[in-house]
Amino acid sequence: MSVSQASAVIDFKAVADRLLPAGSSYDSCLACGLCSSGCPASGLEGLDPRRFIRMAILGLDAELTSTPWIWTCTQCKRCAQVCPMNIDVSVLVGHARSMWPEEKKPAGIVRSCKAQMLSDSTSAMGVSPEDFVDIVAETAEELRHDDERFAKIEVPIDKQGAFFFVNQNSREPAAEPEEMRPLWKLLDYVGADWTYGSSGWAAENFCMFSGDDAAWKAMVEKRVDAVNALGCKVWINTECGHSFYTLWKGVERFGLKPNFDYASLVTYYAQWIREGKLPVNADWNTKGIKFTLQDPCQLVRKSIGDAAADDLRFVAKTLVGEENFVDMQPCRSANYCCGGGGGFLQAGMKELRHAYGKRKFDQIEATEATYVLTPCHNCHSQMEDLAHHYGGDYRVVHFWTLICLALGILGADERKYLGPDLQDVGLPQ
Amino acid sequence: MNFDADVLVIGGGVTGCGILRDLALRGIRGILIDRGDLNSGASGGNHGLLHSGGRYASSDTETAAECRIEGEILKRTAPQAIDACGGLFVAVEGDDEGFIARFAARCAAAGIDCAPLAVDEVRRSEPAISERAIAAYAVPDATVDPFRLTIEQVADARRLADSLFLPHTEVTGFDIDGGRIRAARCRDTRSGEARIIRARQYVNAAGAWSMAVARLAGCDDVRVLWSKGTLVIANTRLTRRVVNRLRTPGDGDILVPGGTVSLLGTTSDTVADLDVIRPTPEEVDRNIEEGSVLIPALAHTRFIRAFAGVRPLLLPTGGDGDGRKASRGFTLFDHVAQGLGNFATIAGGKLTTFRLMAERTGDLVAARLGNREPCRTATEPLPALERSSWTEPGHSARTWFAAKNPADSILCECEMVPKSTVDAVLEMAPGAEPQMPLRAIGVRSRIGKGTCQGSFCAIRVTSHLYDRGTYGGREGLGLMRDFLAERYKGTRPVLWGPQMPQAELAETLHCGLLGLDLIDARGQDGEPR
Amino acid sequence: MNPEPRRITTDVAIVGTGLAGFAAAVFCLDRGIAAVQLGHAGALTYTTGYFDLLGYDRGRSIDDPWRALADLGATWPGHPLARLPRSTIEQAFRRFAEAIGDLGIAYVPPGATNVRALLPTGLAKTTSSIPRTMAAGAAALAEKKRTVIVDFIGLVGFSAKEFVTNFAADWPGLSSAHIGFPDLDGGAEAYPEVMARALEVRATRERLAARIRAVVGDADCVGLPAVLGVHAPDRVHAAMEELVGVPIFEIPTMPPAVPGLRLRELLEQAMPARGLRLVSQHKATRVDLRPDRIDFGYRDNFGEVVIEARTAILATGRFLSGGLVAERSGLRETLIGLPVEQPAGRGDWHRDDCFDVRGHPINRSGVVVDDDFRPLDHDGVPVHPGLFAAGAILAGQDWVRQRCGAGLAIATAWRAVDGVARMSGR
Ligand SMILES: Cc1cc2nc3c(=O)[nH]c(=O)nc-3n(C[C@H](O)[C@H](O)[C@H](O)COP(=O)(O)OP(=O)(O)OC[C@H]3O[C@@H](n4cnc5c(N)ncnc54)[C@H](O)[C@@H]3O)c2cc1C
Ligand SMILES: Cc1cc2nc3c(=O)[nH]c(=O)nc-3n(C[C@H](O)[C@H](O)[C@H](O)COP(=O)(O)OP(=O)(O)OC[C@H]3O[C@@H](n4cnc5c(N)ncnc54)[C@H](O)[C@@H]3O)c2cc1C
Ligand code: SF4
Ligand code: SF4
Ligand code: SF4
Repeated sequence: MSVSQASAVIDFKAVADRLLPAGSSYDSCLACGLCSSGCPASGLEGLDPRRFIRMAILGLDAELTSTPWIWTCTQCKRCAQVCPMNIDVSVLVGHARSMWPEEKKPAGIVRSCKAQMLSDSTSAMGVSPEDFVDIVAETAEELRHDDERFAKIEVPIDKQGAFFFVNQNSREPAAEPEEMRPLWKLLDYVGADWTYGSSGWAAENFCMFSGDDAAWKAMVEKRVDAVNALGCKVWINTECGHSFYTLWKGVERFGLKPNFDYASLVTYYAQWIREGKLPVNADWNTKGIKFTLQDPCQLVRKSIGDAAADDLRFVAKTLVGEENFVDMQPCRSANYCCGGGGGFLQAGMKELRHAYGKRKFDQIEATEATYVLTPCHNCHSQMEDLAHHYGGDYRVVHFWTLICLALGILGADERKYLGPDLQDVGLPQ
Repeated sequence: MNFDADVLVIGGGVTGCGILRDLALRGIRGILIDRGDLNSGASGGNHGLLHSGGRYASSDTETAAECRIEGEILKRTAPQAIDACGGLFVAVEGDDEGFIARFAARCAAAGIDCAPLAVDEVRRSEPAISERAIAAYAVPDATVDPFRLTIEQVADARRLADSLFLPHTEVTGFDIDGGRIRAARCRDTRSGEARIIRARQYVNAAGAWSMAVARLAGCDDVRVLWSKGTLVIANTRLTRRVVNRLRTPGDGDILVPGGTVSLLGTTSDTVADLDVIRPTPEEVDRNIEEGSVLIPALAHTRFIRAFAGVRPLLLPTGGDGDGRKASRGFTLFDHVAQGLGNFATIAGGKLTTFRLMAERTGDLVAARLGNREPCRTATEPLPALERSSWTEPGHSARTWFAAKNPADSILCECEMVPKSTVDAVLEMAPGAEPQMPLRAIGVRSRIGKGTCQGSFCAIRVTSHLYDRGTYGGREGLGLMRDFLAERYKGTRPVLWGPQMPQAELAETLHCGLLGLDLIDARGQDGEPR
Repeated sequence: MNPEPRRITTDVAIVGTGLAGFAAAVFCLDRGIAAVQLGHAGALTYTTGYFDLLGYDRGRSIDDPWRALADLGATWPGHPLARLPRSTIEQAFRRFAEAIGDLGIAYVPPGATNVRALLPTGLAKTTSSIPRTMAAGAAALAEKKRTVIVDFIGLVGFSAKEFVTNFAADWPGLSSAHIGFPDLDGGAEAYPEVMARALEVRATRERLAARIRAVVGDADCVGLPAVLGVHAPDRVHAAMEELVGVPIFEIPTMPPAVPGLRLRELLEQAMPARGLRLVSQHKATRVDLRPDRIDFGYRDNFGEVVIEARTAILATGRFLSGGLVAERSGLRETLIGLPVEQPAGRGDWHRDDCFDVRGHPINRSGVVVDDDFRPLDHDGVPVHPGLFAAGAILAGQDWVRQRCGAGLAIATAWRAVDGVARMSGR
């Protein structure tokens, strides 16, 4: 992969001067290497964040313009977090991505973005609004049929004036609709006034990763319009890391006008537990199964910050028991990106992605936990893949799975991500 | 250790190196010595401007023409060391209108191509130039890498005639007998050992020190004025071309781009003592204040370093005073009137005219040796060596990146100099030697030249040198300390803004982590003062 | 999304997340004072891990730091440490070392005399308190134990040979070995941080231990660059000693290094769990000194936040951390605009020789405080009754050359917290 000769060479220093705040310009870089030491993409394709900056300063623009490394940097912003000068390499990487000729960009990311542009769903997996409505209806019908406790459950779509607008990652409707059921159950359990939208319901946003600003904007605009149109008060982002970031960042970047607040589902899990609406505890964990937690950088470091990390821990510890919870290190705002983000999973650069993920794998192994909890689909897939690749024997689970398990409402066919040790625990009577 | 050669050349600046090669091209083997290293005098402390002559056109037509001719020759024979980026002369509001009006004609008189430009057009192509600009001319100025020039000349002389360069060898006296120098008494400034060098001819190319060296031979006919100049290096290339202020030369009125940086200078102050030449904050401020009139961005750019050099300006008999008014011309002294038949001194001049200076000297020395070969430096291209491109900013980085060999660790991150470059310098650079000082490696590569000014790479390169066995004891720490102290001399006057955190980190590392303030220059536990 | 600034009220705002800031946070929590702390990455990540109290006086090493502290006032009038009684310094220093130990990085408590600790150059420096993972090194040097120093393929800037060569005269039983670190032995650059994280995995420890055992020979002790875990160094260290079978110690390395990272990560993670409200990715950008409180403003992804604090401790460090800024015309305190004591002009900031044992005059510049460590205005009056300062930003010291960084940060934080406690009625 390389940029064609014809395409323009980027003047990275000029771009840095334009895009980075004065105190955090490349000019203030001390060349200390903290960023590189803490970046999982270091060493891939001979580059790392410090080198990226040094090469920009040395004017090696042709090299930087064409290096595939920019597709291995997940734009996780850990470099800025550890840098005493707060220098953010991801901004330049984003710019470089945007300058790559479309046909040279990793096809998987471009394809996903294109798919999102096709219908009002904004779904990267090509699920149309009609399909979505049908799949949800069918799945809800099955649920009502299978589980008498939820015989009357409603899964509203396009409910005008609902308090919450909840988005949905396409993976479930497209590939594993039964995985939506735990979420609906718990929303029902707390009595939330919520709705999906037939338009703008999808969570993922690969247009941001492909560096296509116009498409990113179009995507976020459609979603904002959809929520505005339904008059919802709060947009709740499901267990998906980057979709939260792309929305608020998109709103800020493109000056959009949402008439609603945005929140992460995690924040509400914590709130509902605190309020007693989700009366979960760890009584089910009689075997003392150990859990760790992956803080999605898109949600924690890049968006809400440690407040989200606190909520995640509160929820996780309540669910599995304080003594069964082991943090991976580093964590919270300092967590390493797993290597699934930034479109890496879709980019078709498997070896590099595995190399990137080695740190994550070591982190997980060090905890000796059996399960990793994470509220992010990309994190989820990447960590599972790392387990296969490096021979780890942990599993990755969504929060909704465990919440329903703890509530005793997790059906037998909603346990895809649980191991044999948990197939029978807390089954509904 | 003692040495013999046809000719001993004293002074490893651009002139001495030029003479070494000039002679080698005539088949004459020389030994070149420097009390420091290559370019430790003015040749390592100048602006790197290959003058078109425009700068002198208004005051000294002869020097201007000489610059023009020599510049053209060098562009042909040593293009690898030259960036023919072109130059501008720009005046701003308030500058002397008469000077501006006369400029084009004066250039024409010296044969210099000088084209008037529309001010707005200039500002479009060079946005860094002040909006207060009122007049502009284009001239064929260029920039030159003096390190590359000296290194390649020494290497070529070795190839041609097995000529030799000896670093840290200082001449301390001459044995004179019967109107001839019989031997030069020298001292190894690193080890303190004495050396005797015997030659048939002796050439003094010691730049600002040429007066002192001539006196060692009992000659009092060389009189040079010491004019100290200070320059500052900005972290950015602000302009594509050289930008000169169109006025009577003054402080901070030339900005010379060099690869990825810009050099602003210079000041000009007569000094009485050659041994305490260091740039001062006051001189830096003067450069910036004047420079930012022409290039406003200079007022808030990150500067990474300042440095100073001493111009050896020849004093006409009876002349005194201002360095800028003294002649930029050069003189070759044959010292015959002083009773010596095998000694010559070449003094004055410019970097731009070094070749001509070497030619004149070579002619005299060759004639004295009975060698009838003509000078060939005006036509014979200087072979470009891959390894001297190590001094070119970005070169190491580019090569390293293309090679894709992750095991070749980067030792200097600022300039991206890998282990292999350091190894190659140690193995084959001119003047390479066992226990090569970090400073000498720095002269032959980009080590220590980036924004961190050696604070990290010194540690990494030193560890590497211990690993290779280049250093085997505390002296390695002493050499690291010496390298850092030398870098500090240059950073000290520019310590503000982003350079201050860098310096603070450097001090905490070098003292707190390495303990270098607890040892002396030889690496031994320091005597408490 | 929020046009209205969010407000946080607190007893004390601690501005700065360096050693001084975190020490202040520890002391506040000890005394039940509600604290909000904010800051960003800074000098802390670069430290060697050694806690210096007072190690040198003009290049001369100090054996008894307590006596030297008692005499400090005579040679350094106004030195922050000279303004504190021994009991305060001792109490603060011990309490902080103990607190860090409780959090997971044990320190050998400061003793009556200084110890000689190892530097990567093969020199020793005088310090007071060292992490347990490095303790066996000081002992090995003192007892001249037969020791093998191990370094790793791909680790640049640390050479076991350099260490061994330069200690040779002092320490005859030293030898070196160069080995590959598991999975990082292909020759590419290997960062200490990556090795340290990998060593938190049991299997990696076992593999590395086997490789080390192969080169131990008859040595009684093994020295390594500091890579024994980031998060749980004590555990990793103990496990490695057990696996290798001889005492092991770490030697600090150049940045990017592990010891500072350990402290930063540990404190940022463990302190909130103990009740600190920590804002770890933001610097204060605005201050409003009000009669009864001090407001600090910053901006996060969701808009403006204002911390309304009854009192505040300014621990923003020096140039590297951004507490002070150097301009061509002079030095400035960046947040509040406090007067900065400084040499007359830029020409006087530094000495000609960078390694001059007297240190540079600029190192002594900083914020001037009263005996309660309240910053003073140009008339010598406290700028605000509730505003205190601590750490490297203080005038009148040269922590780099004196080797008193940690001592200064911790002891002055204690005194500042004394003032905060008084103001908060605790
Ligand atoms: C600030 C400044 C800016 C300049 N800018 C330009 C420019 O832009 N363009 C241009 O064309 N010219 C410029 N010049 C002039 C140019 O740099 C000099 O004319 C040229 O470098 C002189 O070279 P040299 O070899 O004659 O002397 P030097 O480079 O000074 O070499 C003399 C050498 O002799 C050695 N030496 C001294 N004593 C002894 C001894 N006893 N034994 C052994 N060795 C000894 C010294 O160590 C030194 O290395 C500038 C000069 C200065 C100072
Ligand atoms: C290379 C190196 C080696 C060292 N080695 C040792 C050693 O061996 N022994 C030893 O005892 N000490 C050592 N230290 C020193 C020690 O770690 C501390 O850095 C020092 O004591 C100063 O502590 P401090 O908390 O006052 O300031 P700093 O550590 O500089 O912390 C200041 C903090 O303030 C924050 N800040 C700045 N402005 C704002 C703002 N506007 N709002 C909010 N926050 C802000 C910064 O982000 C930073 O977190 C070393 C330091 C370095 C750099
Ligand atoms: S951490 Fe920051 S200052 Fe250090 S090298 Fe990276 S970008 Fe530069
Ligand atoms: S954004 Fe993340 S992956 Fe990219 S350079 Fe920074 S730390 Fe590395
Ligand atoms: S996949 Fe997960 S860890 Fe990785 S970028 Fe997304 S949120 Fe970050």
